[in-house]
Amino acid sequence: MRSAVLAIALAACSPPDHGPRWRAAGNASPRDGGTLRFATSDQVVTLDPAIEYDQISGYIVHALHDTLVGYEPGGTALVPHLAASWRVSPDGLDYTFALRDGIVFADGSPITAESFLAAFARVRAAADSPFQPFLANVASVSAPDPHALAFHLAKADASFVYVLAMPFAAPHRDGSDTTSGPFVLERWDPGVRVVLRKNTRYWDAAHVHLDAIEMAENVPRDVQFLMFERGDLDTVEGLALADYLWIQDQPAWQPFVHVRATLNSYGSRMNVRQKPFDDRRVRQALNYALDKQHSVKLLGGAAIASHGILPPGVLGRDDTLAPYPHDPAKARELLAAAGYPGGFDIEYMIIDDDEAERLAGSLQHDLGEAGVRVHITELSIAMYAAALASKDGPAFAKAGWIADYPDPASFFDGCFHTRAISDEGTTNFAFYSNPELDALLDSARAEPDPARRAALYRRAEHIVYDDAPWLWDYHQETVEVTQPYVRDYEPHPVWLRDYTHAWLDLDGDGERVTR
Amino acid sequence: MIGLVVRRLGWTVVVAWFVVTATFALISVIPADPVRALAPHATPEVAERIRAHYCLDRSFTGQYGCFVSHVARGELGESVRGGRPVTQILAERAWPSIQLALAAIVLQLVFGALVGVVGAARRGRWADRVGGLAGVVGLSAPPFFVGPLLLFLLAYRLGWFPLGGYGSGVLDRLWHLVLPAATIACGGLAYYARAVRTEMIDALGQDYVRTARAKGLPERSVIVRHALRNSLGPLTSIAGLSFGMLLCGEVIVEYIFAWPGLGRELLLAILAQDGPVIVGIVLVSALALACANLVVDLVQLWLDPRLRAESE
Repeated sequence: MRSAVLAIALAACSPPDHGPRWRAAGNASPRDGGTLRFATSDQVVTLDPAIEYDQISGYIVHALHDTLVGYEPGGTALVPHLAASWRVSPDGLDYTFALRDGIVFADGSPITAESFLAAFARVRAAADSPFQPFLANVASVSAPDPHALAFHLAKADASFVYVLAMPFAAPHRDGSDTTSGPFVLERWDPGVRVVLRKNTRYWDAAHVHLDAIEMAENVPRDVQFLMFERGDLDTVEGLALADYLWIQDQPAWQPFVHVRATLNSYGSRMNVRQKPFDDRRVRQALNYALDKQHSVKLLGGAAIASHGILPPGVLGRDDTLAPYPHDPAKARELLAAAGYPGGFDIEYMIIDDDEAERLAGSLQHDLGEAGVRVHITELSIAMYAAALASKDGPAFAKAGWIADYPDPASFFDGCFHTRAISDEGTTNFAFYSNPELDALLDSARAEPDPARRAALYRRAEHIVYDDAPWLWDYHQETVEVTQPYVRDYEPHPVWLRDYTHAWLDLDGDGERVTR
Repeated sequence: MIGLVVRRLGWTVVVAWFVVTATFALISVIPADPVRALAPHATPEVAERIRAHYCLDRSFTGQYGCFVSHVARGELGESVRGGRPVTQILAERAWPSIQLALAAIVLQLVFGALVGVVGAARRGRWADRVGGLAGVVGLSAPPFFVGPLLLFLLAYRLGWFPLGGYGSGVLDRLWHLVLPAATIACGGLAYYARAVRTEMIDALGQDYVRTARAKGLPERSVIVRHALRNSLGPLTSIAGLSFGMLLCGEVIVEYIFAWPGLGRELLLAILAQDGPVIVGIVLVSALALACANLVVDLVQLWLDPRLRAESE
């Protein structure tokens, strides 16, 4: 008893060893085998690719399913996966895919063009699938022969191929739940863990090195970090701010901290149909009033101040545009010109979580300097989502957009096209309607030439920058820390966690090598 | 006796109906949209179709009718997040919660009785005071303080226990149970200790204890075999009632220790406005509490012939 008390007292006082406990064994080429373990703070809700639309379920669904095309490891360029090649007709209406030879499902049955038709039919028939709009532009899809798939579009759409990289477009065999991806489901204890095992029949199995992946569900973020430090996890993502700041101070960890821009933009919507945001000068004033560097700092530095909806690396982003500078005097000037010399009181709606609270507090302070008195309302995610999508929701609210695929159309059309406005289900959160922008976006979507397309989107960038329907704030980066023996891994801009080609650098017995 | 059970079961059904209806009414007045929370990019048509699939497009009475028709078929609907049947989710979540509640009650009973007995036998002396103080500290320390503290010290720093999780296999499960159960027990210990102490002090002043002492029995035997045994009655009611509470009420402890029980599922469901899951868990919770009440009454009747005479 006494020794236990002493041990507890010592444990409370002694500082822990700060560096990684293990190191890479130093294998020259990728080593096969081992189980990669990670945890998430939420839970998987479904493994059905026709329904899955949340991040956590997405990690698993992506590992289980493969599609005609996929992304290059760590990047956003499309490469052939289940398709060996594809052709696009000059008018941009016909897409023809030739399937790879000998591809099979995890149960050994062949994947044919019919398997894709079955998947699309399933999405179209499912009452609770959110993916039907992605197929709305497909006038017809057919299988000219078992190894070819032909799509005919109603309107030309240069972003269409990206849709086919989404997991709902993975092949499906009716009456079976077999899958086509690099891993197969070994077990799912809902709310507890998911275990995946390597699919030895995967077409690219030679480049899949892990034997298994184990994901623990519902582990609080700070506990995940303790588990990682103790060696119970091989990788940890989405660190709590305190843990992230701590690890930034540890030189020995730096090579294993991966920071990566992903497909998002965060800011605040200003409903342009409501006062005072019907005046562009007010919207610009708020953009001048906010110090984006405060937000970046509050996110531990894992963010990029934004000037618009497109994050770095996406086609059409105009890198010459700088974020609105922090200029409270200019903000007050614009407010006075718009008829608000004394500023105004405004409700600001956010989701009830720590990060949103911190950022809102900073925004409240910055806007206060320009005379705008912000009153923060915190709501649960479901109430927030309902209010954000409604024309009667708070005119000023935290807003964010995570694109479905790395194409400017997946950012602009949903967020700023007049088509996306609806009274109770708007995704154009600012209710921003501009015929010039609509026409520009429509022609940009159809434009086959990437250079001309990029130029069109750069013009769109300037329009929304000047009109400022959002209070532009930041693009959040994903932060993941891996143990030193996790090799050839970077967070993926689209999937975030994609361990298809990662491997564990262990010793000959498959043990971790201590430092 | 049988009449009593039938009457109480009848009441249980009424209580469950009332609780479910009240929960429905509460959910339907909250202006929230689980579909949009889950699929923020969904077009209005798609969102409307998904809502229709889950009866969310209907008024309060329409949704209620939808629920009743599910119940008539022996179902409780589907989770709005992912479409899994609510009965399946409840079945998965109930067993972890039962294990945690039982483990916590066993810890509370054993240590509560120990502290209570020592307190009564050493009444007013330092052991009694320390026990009393420890009880008050435990009662006052909230689980969101005790839980992370135990986790950090005993699991992270000393490595004696796992950092949360459910474990697999009997021994591993027990090992995972210790910290969450101890966190809950910490708060409830004082009730048990106080109840045992009061009863024991009362019992130690009774004639049969004096008789036992006069017979020359050793003090340990007097306390354990004569006084303690007669003091256990109130503990059964505390334990029974708290079992009902613990089953769905351990939201924070289950969250901290990643324990896949009903409490944590309820929290997640409330945040996502997942109506069918909320109603399902509330229903289970109400039934568990009502049944625990009934069982406690029956045990009391069985233990104490005087009550039996009264009820008849």
